[in-house]
Amino acid sequence: MGPLVVNEIISENTNLLLAFFIGIGFGFVLEQAGFSSSRKLAGVFYGYDTVVLKVFFTGAITAMIGLLFFSLFGWIDLSIVYVNETYLWSAIVGGVIMGAGFIMGGYCPGTSFCGAAIGKIDAYIFILGLFIGVFIFGEGFNLFEPLFMAEFMGYPRLSEFFGLTEGITALLVIVAAVIMFWIGEWAEKKFPREEY
Amino acid sequence: MNKIFYSPRIIASIVFVMFGLIIAAVPKNTTTPFKLTAEQILNEIKSGTQYVDAEMIAQMIVEKDPSLQLIDLRPESEFQKYSLEGAINIPIDNLLSPAYYDILNQGVMTNVFYSNGSTRANEAWMLVRQLGYQNNYVLSGGLNYWFETIMNPQAPSATSPDDEFAKYDFRKAASQALGGGAVISAEPTSSTSKAIPKPKPQGKKQAVKGGCS
Repeated sequence: MGPLVVNEIISENTNLLLAFFIGIGFGFVLEQAGFSSSRKLAGVFYGYDTVVLKVFFTGAITAMIGLLFFSLFGWIDLSIVYVNETYLWSAIVGGVIMGAGFIMGGYCPGTSFCGAAIGKIDAYIFILGLFIGVFIFGEGFNLFEPLFMAEFMGYPRLSEFFGLTEGITALLVIVAAVIMFWIGEWAEKKFPREEY
Repeated sequence: MNKIFYSPRIIASIVFVMFGLIIAAVPKNTTTPFKLTAEQILNEIKSGTQYVDAEMIAQMIVEKDPSLQLIDLRPESEFQKYSLEGAINIPIDNLLSPAYYDILNQGVMTNVFYSNGSTRANEAWMLVRQLGYQNNYVLSGGLNYWFETIMNPQAPSATSPDDEFAKYDFRKAASQALGGGAVISAEPTSSTSKAIPKPKPQGKKQAVKGGCS
């Protein structure tokens, strides 16, 4: 049955409309969970608040389990689900830059728009910086291109990379997530902060 | 002790790990989920959406439409004797061979099946349609009809409506462009043998692959 667009069950336009509503829901949930507070977001790096880690990892493992069960029931064909290309070096360098920006600015791109939606000035400044960064990257693309395109790995999935079945990989990721949550909660007790 | 055991985070963790254990234990689903049901195919057959007119194909050949991919389903010996311009040969026995997968299942070219009549082309179309492949069509009437209408068009009777004459003029022109038989032929079948253009050696065209990246 799925993916809906690829199998032409819904049109490209319906897909965009669905994305619009899901996007609004996503923003609403982020705001409700307190993700429009840059102190809460930066907390994950200092250890006093690891809700970001917990929420995003819970989201990831929920989606993972859901997709695997859908595939098991024959509701979705995972072989034609789009997976992002992996360019190893640009992923590493981009991750470091994004992490540094996250610590300094207290937002990630999505949550900065959440903050902006409720009128936080630091979020507006963050978005300005985001556009400056996009501009610099765009203008200097020729300079960055060798790094950007380096070490293309295709469309690897963890299961293929480790040579395990998808189910075993999923179980390992879940166990890793639970261990991470436990460490996160331990860190919250270890580095408490009264008001933020 | 009991209190810790029943805290929501412990329960959530246990639930997640249990789902993980289930998914790790079951074998991977290898069935191909996307298939049209018999009713859906029947509906398409009833509405005849798979047919393409000989006139339309003639026009596309004359205009050298790059998206047209004619697929000859007859055995290779017949294909060697005569084939439509630009056609590739996929004998129907080999239709499901992996070598032709990229040609049949793609989103760029317009594949048109033909055979002598339209039965074999229809069979091939039903097979690939049932597999969920797109952009495959059937040349209406097959080669027989092609010779009757495009290669040896018959002048309509004087009382026919105007568009019959327009169609005839078009067929006449197409026939000339495609090296058909006599421009005005009295017998429908007499010129088929001498009108055959030389079969050209055909390299197998590789269809462009679709995709969203």
